[in-house]
Amino acid sequence: MGLARTLDEAMAPRGVSAPWSPRRIWRHRGSSTRGQNAAGWLFVAPALGILVMFLVIPIGLALYVSFTNWSGITSPFGRTVQGVGLANYRALLTEPGLNRQLFGTDIRNNLYFVLFTVPLQTLLALWLAVVVNNRFLRGRGFFRLAFYFPSVTSSVAITTVFIFLFQGSGAVNKILSVFGIRGPNWLYDTRGIFTVILSMIGVHSAPGWAGHTFLGISIWQWIAGPSFGMCVLIILLTWTTSGTFMLLFIAALQGVSLDVEEASEIDGATPWQRFRHVTVPMLRPAIVLVLTLGLISTWQLFDQVTLVGPYNQTTWTPAYLSYYVSFQNNEFGQGAAIAFLLFALIVILTLIQRRFVKEDLTR
Amino acid sequence: MKARNRLAAVALGTLVAVGGVGVTGAVASTGRSTPHSKVVLTGKAHGVTLTLMYGSSGPAETAAVTAAAKAWAALSGNKVNVINASNFTQQLDQAFAGGTPPDVFYLGSQQLETFAKQGELLPYASLVAPAKDFYPALVKAYTWNHTWYCIPKDFSNLALEINTTLWKKAGLTSADIPKNWSMLEADAKKLTGNGVVGLDVGNTLDRLGAFFAENGGSYMNAAHTAFTFNSPQNVKALQFVQSMAKQGILAFPPQQSSGWAGEAFGLGKAAMTTEGNWIIGAMKSSYPSIKWAAYPMPAGPTGKKGTLTFTNCWGIPSSSKNSAAAVSFVKYLASPAQQLRFAEAFGVLPSRISVAQAYAKQNPQVAAFVAGTPYAMSPVGTVGFATVQSQFDSQVANLASLDPKTLLDELQQNAEALLRP
Repeated sequence: MGLARTLDEAMAPRGVSAPWSPRRIWRHRGSSTRGQNAAGWLFVAPALGILVMFLVIPIGLALYVSFTNWSGITSPFGRTVQGVGLANYRALLTEPGLNRQLFGTDIRNNLYFVLFTVPLQTLLALWLAVVVNNRFLRGRGFFRLAFYFPSVTSSVAITTVFIFLFQGSGAVNKILSVFGIRGPNWLYDTRGIFTVILSMIGVHSAPGWAGHTFLGISIWQWIAGPSFGMCVLIILLTWTTSGTFMLLFIAALQGVSLDVEEASEIDGATPWQRFRHVTVPMLRPAIVLVLTLGLISTWQLFDQVTLVGPYNQTTWTPAYLSYYVSFQNNEFGQGAAIAFLLFALIVILTLIQRRFVKEDLTR
Repeated sequence: MKARNRLAAVALGTLVAVGGVGVTGAVASTGRSTPHSKVVLTGKAHGVTLTLMYGSSGPAETAAVTAAAKAWAALSGNKVNVINASNFTQQLDQAFAGGTPPDVFYLGSQQLETFAKQGELLPYASLVAPAKDFYPALVKAYTWNHTWYCIPKDFSNLALEINTTLWKKAGLTSADIPKNWSMLEADAKKLTGNGVVGLDVGNTLDRLGAFFAENGGSYMNAAHTAFTFNSPQNVKALQFVQSMAKQGILAFPPQQSSGWAGEAFGLGKAAMTTEGNWIIGAMKSSYPSIKWAAYPMPAGPTGKKGTLTFTNCWGIPSSSKNSAAAVSFVKYLASPAQQLRFAEAFGVLPSRISVAQAYAKQNPQVAAFVAGTPYAMSPVGTVGFATVQSQFDSQVANLASLDPKTLLDELQQNAEALLRP
C-alpha cells in the first residue's frame, strides 16, 4: 500500500490535475455507474482473489500462529496446537534467553547493514545515473546495460561468486596482499569493524558503561559495527541494487528540463553548483522514493543470508532468523512473532523517514 | 565374496516371507497418546499407492532408493510414488502441516522428539523386527517416552582418516597411528608444514562432540533429563582442541578455505580429518588419486573411546491410511539384503548388527567406522536445539581466541532454557 502510494506520488507530475480523471467521466454518465461498478469489480476479481488467497489469508494465519505454539508438522488448528498469548513476543523482547539474544543480535546486524547500504547504494546509483545520462558520453547504452546487469542476475548465483571471492585465500585477499595487507577471513570473521578499529587505537575491551544490555546483548556489542561477514553483504547489495535505482534516477533526470540547466549555466553556476542546487532538488521525489524502497528492502535481507549465514551468525537478519527458528527448530509461533516485529519495525522506520525527509520542500 | 552370497540368500528368504504376506500385527488400540498403546494398522496390504519421501545425498542414493521402491512395488502388487525432496526437512514439514504426509519417510534422530511429541509418528518398529537385531544405541535414538518408534535405516560414525602419502612423507609408520590424544598431537605436529595442517576438524559440535566423548564427557546425562555441556570433562576436551588450534596443528575448514573438512583432506591441505563414512563416497568421486585409510577415533587421556553417530530411521505417520502396506514396505527396506544393497550403493552402515558386521568384514575400509558403534554418542534431539547448536557452531572457527569454558557455559545455559516448561 505504502509502496504503491510512494511510487505514484514520485512518478506523477505534481500540481497537475487530470481533466480525464475516471471519476469525472463517471459523473457524466450517472445512469450507468452501477453497471460500471459491477463490471469493475468483475474485472478486478481475479487479481483480488489472488491477493486474498496469497496475501490476506496467509498474513492473518501467520498472525494467529504467532500467538500459538504451532510446530509446523500438524494442522495449525489441530488438537496439539495451543494458544500461548503473548509468550512468543515476550521471549523476543523481555525474557532473557537465546531467542531474545539472537533477535537483538540480528536487529543489530541488520541495522548496520541498512545504515551502510542505503546511503551507499543511493549515492552510487545517483552518480552512475548522472554519468550515463551525460549527453556527450559515448556508448551510453552499453554502460547503462553494464551497470544494470548485476540487478537482473540471480542473487543466489552472485552470492556464490562472492563467497569464492571473499574466501580466506580468495581473490580479494590475494589482491590485498599485493598491497601488503593481510585480509581477514571475511565470511567467518565475527568481529565488528568498529571493534577492530578501536583495538587498533588501543581500546581492547568494553568500558564499564558498555556492559549494560539491551535486547539481550551488551552496548559494547551494539556499537561493534558490522562484522567482516556483513561487510561482504553490504558490498554485494550495494553493487547489485544500485543498477535498479540508477534506472529510477535516469528516468527522473530525463524529466529535468534542459532550459533550467542552461539558465543556471548562463547565470554562471559551476558544474558542481548546478548539480547541487539545480539537479538534486529537481530529483528530490526520486531520491525519497529510492531511500524508501532501499530502507524497506534492506530490512528484508534474506536470500544472501541463506547462503552466507551458515558460516557466520553475525550475518543473520531477523528475516533469516524467522525462517531458521520456524523450519529448523519447528517453532513456527516464534518465527511468526519475529516476522511481525520486523513488520512493525519497518513501518515505524518508514514513517519516521517520511516525516523527516520531505519529498517537496514547498510542502 | 562367499560371505556376501550367503548373506544374500538369508536375506532373500526373509524377503519372500515378508513380501507376500503383508502385516498382521493389528491389535486393539487405546489411543495414540499413551506411550504403551498398541498399534493399529490401516488399509490393505495390496493394491495401494504409497508415497516415499527422502532427501538424497546424491545420484547413487537416488538410484538405490528408487530401485528398492520399484522392486517392492512389483513384489507386493502395490505402487510407490517416490519423492526426492530437494529441501527435505522443509518439504516434510509442509507435507505434514498440509495433512498429506508421505506414508514412509526418512527421519533423523534429532527430529524424532519433534514428531513423536506431536503424536505424528506411528510406533510400528517392534512389528517389523525385534530390537535385538539392531545396535542398541540406534534403538535408543528412536525411543522416546519409553516407546520405540521406528526402524533405524542406517547410520554413520566418525572415524579418523589419514592421508597415507603425507603420513609416510612425514616419516611416520603404522606404529604411530594415534591411539590416544598425546599421539594425535605428536603426529599432527610432525605432519604440519609445507602448507599442510596436521588435522582438520569440522567447526561444529557434530565433530567436536567426539572429543567430549573421548574425555568421558557427554551432551546429556544418562537419563536424558539434563544437559552436561559445561562438565569439566567437556571443558578439558575443548581446551585440548584449542591448544592444538593455537599451535597451528589443527585447523577448521574455513581457515583452509574449504567448505568442509573432507575438502581440505581431499585437496591434501590436511593430513588427517575426523569425518564419517560418507567421506568414502566423496573421496571416490572427487579425490580418487588421494591414498588414505580410516582408523577408529583416538581414545582420550583415560583410555576412553568415543565417537559420534548420525542416523536416520524409516518414519511412518500415525495418520497414514495405508500403514499396513507402509509397514510391509519398511520390512522390505530394512531387510538384510536391502540394507546390504544400500550400504554398497552409497556407503551407509547397515543398522542390523549381523549385516553391519558382515559388511565390515568384506570392506576393511568400513571396519574403522563400524568399530565405534558400541560406544558412539548420538546428537541432541531436544526440540529447539538447532538454534542453540548454531550459536555454538558459529563461534567454533574462532576457537583459538575464545575461552572454552565460557563457550560451553553459554551452550549449557542456552540448552537448559529448552528444558524449562
